[in-house]
Amino acid sequence: MYADLLNALPNVFAWTNFAAVIIGVIAGIVVGAMPGLSATMAISVLVPFTFGLEPLVALGLMAGIYNGAMYGGAIPAVLLRIPGTPAAVATTFDGYPMAQKGEGGFALQVAVVSSALGGIASAFALMLLAPPLSRVTLLFGPSEVFWVAVFGLASIIFLLGGNPIKGLISACFGVFVSVIGSDPIYGNDRFTFGQLEMLDGINIVILLVGLYALPPVIDLLETPLKTDGVNSSKLGTESIWKALPRMKGFGMTWLRGSFIGIWIGILPGAGGSMAAFMSYNEARRTSKTPETWGEGEPEGVAAAEVANNADTASALIPALTLGIPGTAVAAVMLGGLLVHGLQPGPMLFRDNPDIVFGFMWQFLFGAILLVLLGGSLATNSFARLLNLPRPLLGSVIIVLMLIGVYSIHGRMFDVYLMLGFGAIGWVMDRLKFPLPPVVLGLILGGFAEENLRLALRIGRGDPMVLFQNTTSLILVALTIAVIVGPTLKKRFVDGRKKA
Amino acid sequence: MLKLMHKTALVGAMILTAGAALAEYPERPIEVIVGYSAGGGTDVMARTAAPFIERYLGEDASIVVKNMPGASGQIGVTEVANADPDGYTLGTFNLPGMMARTIDREADYDRDSFTYLANVVNDPNVIVTSTGSGLDTLDKLIAEATENPFAVTVGMSSLGGDDHFALIKLQNATETEFTIVPFKGSAPARTALLGGHVAMGILNISEVAEFQDQLNVLGVATQERSPFAPDLPTFQEQGLDLVNGSMRGFVAPAGLPEDIQAKLMDAFSQLSSDQEFLDAMAATANPVEVVTGEEFKQLTSDLYDLAEGVWETTPWN
Repeated sequence: MYADLLNALPNVFAWTNFAAVIIGVIAGIVVGAMPGLSATMAISVLVPFTFGLEPLVALGLMAGIYNGAMYGGAIPAVLLRIPGTPAAVATTFDGYPMAQKGEGGFALQVAVVSSALGGIASAFALMLLAPPLSRVTLLFGPSEVFWVAVFGLASIIFLLGGNPIKGLISACFGVFVSVIGSDPIYGNDRFTFGQLEMLDGINIVILLVGLYALPPVIDLLETPLKTDGVNSSKLGTESIWKALPRMKGFGMTWLRGSFIGIWIGILPGAGGSMAAFMSYNEARRTSKTPETWGEGEPEGVAAAEVANNADTASALIPALTLGIPGTAVAAVMLGGLLVHGLQPGPMLFRDNPDIVFGFMWQFLFGAILLVLLGGSLATNSFARLLNLPRPLLGSVIIVLMLIGVYSIHGRMFDVYLMLGFGAIGWVMDRLKFPLPPVVLGLILGGFAEENLRLALRIGRGDPMVLFQNTTSLILVALTIAVIVGPTLKKRFVDGRKKA
Repeated sequence: MLKLMHKTALVGAMILTAGAALAEYPERPIEVIVGYSAGGGTDVMARTAAPFIERYLGEDASIVVKNMPGASGQIGVTEVANADPDGYTLGTFNLPGMMARTIDREADYDRDSFTYLANVVNDPNVIVTSTGSGLDTLDKLIAEATENPFAVTVGMSSLGGDDHFALIKLQNATETEFTIVPFKGSAPARTALLGGHVAMGILNISEVAEFQDQLNVLGVATQERSPFAPDLPTFQEQGLDLVNGSMRGFVAPAGLPEDIQAKLMDAFSQLSSDQEFLDAMAATANPVEVVTGEEFKQLTSDLYDLAEGVWETTPWN
């Protein structure tokens, strides 16, 4: 198998194949940076065109876009507090405060280096460990996956800080949105009001753009004359070589974030946003100075960005070996593979080693190229945006939002939905309800429901089926730890203070 | 006067275009609406077939595949049913799904809404069991299901699909009861089987071809053995009358002009004898079985009756 890996390498360097990766990364950064355009959408638009292309050209484009977009999402997250992709939500926590302090340039450099490292770690996991890691995926049946989703939701509610009750209400709203559409088992319509457009549920991008992009735009337009705290002259961009030494303490965070990202990637469904939250929570929990987190801690950006790129290639492990994609992006990439007659499964590695291993190399190079292509050039060009007068900047963002949301399915219905979510997001923002639990609630809620119901069917209605094996029990224990942990810790600290 | 002239001109123009259509259909691009997203099985079929159909229709023919995913294909197929029957809008058609949707939901189309061109793919069902279940023959499986009703869990891709109908046929033929676990799609169902989370699965042969070493494949629901797995016995060989599968083909709106219909039908029927097309379909794991025109319509009708019968006794939602 490792011989196949090396044999596939020369073909990757054929200029068309390599150019495809470069174009893909650039396109991915741009797409990721636009609120409303996501890697999933870019790749699904691309798939029909790849029919006429050589497989490695097509796959190189996809690998590049995936890697590029996972970083690109960080750009508006840092500069405007608008995550460009769902996976960049956690990047806003510290990235935006950094930008407000005039450290936006450094934040983006941390993001690009972390993204590249995460992507590289993930590509190596895919290249070297795909078959053994796919066996890990098999351990996760419906009841285990249900607990993963519950664990993810509990983490976001209780570990994010702030008021857990408000977090819970936000998460419930997200879970409610996940219920809209046809029932995952029986297919009955739920809360669709007879609209065919809502049968497939609410697309995550519609919710994300509405919740996250509209409120900041309203803010921008509310005070059109206020000069912005952030502009490119204050961005504080410096050469990447000067920035690197300032990141030398991030080793542990990068390592941990990569592990979390790879791990979440091989589990079906959760994806980059959950990976980024988990990594952020873990890094903050183990930090010596947790109080600086959320106020512009560069390590927070590193934790989020390393993890959301570390799930890219690893999400393809179950996709290539079992045909079940770990993320929505991996799902559309699977379509791109099928188009070229590449059927996922154990035979894939044997029948088409050139293409499969070539694709893996392309992931690796895509990640490395991020540093070069996503470095100061891209950062500076996007930062210019912030020099625009506020009304103009706000209008540009609104146009991008409308185009992005419309282009998901090509229908106005989604645009109205997005505006509705925007209004809700604005109210929630004013009332200080946290928005990240809504996003994760939508992503994980549907997942939790479907798998709970499948598990109960397997157990023929007996809830004990949820506690029947070690993997489930470990996840239950982790969930309980997440819920009671912060309270216990607080008691413990208070107790010590008194004594 | 002006109105009359206008009318005459309009009629004249209509006669002209009709004449042109008669003479040289197709004179502009033909749109094929696929009710699923790009890269799915139905989409791959449409895109693989498109260049061949273009070739059969003549030099100037061009086909544009348009994806309109959503509501398990219902959005796309409704669009086809409501399109002008001028031969410039065709669509893909999945069985039994498209008929089942007219039973389990309010649908804006029925079996009479289409001109049936050709069914191209027939992907037969297979019954598989996980290696850990110990149920490695059909007899053992049926014995277990007879002794312990509902004890065998069956993973499948959805309710109201071909897998579900195959299970209903199996239950009726053997007087057994199984516990249905409908996953979202066949890949998660297959993964649950590989992991031993469900005991048995009903899938399609193209979906298990790559996994034959890791699962027990008990038989295939065809009349004759499938070229995809020539060593795999049919259920009929094993004394069980079970023939079922998932079908994909092409339809046009009802009321297609006869000459255009004939031209299209002629083009689609050439697919079955084109080795280049058969090879391309084999590469994407699509078992080809071309059925055209009236036969295809009859097939659809039969499947509708089956689905309705199932719905009356065991509605799935």
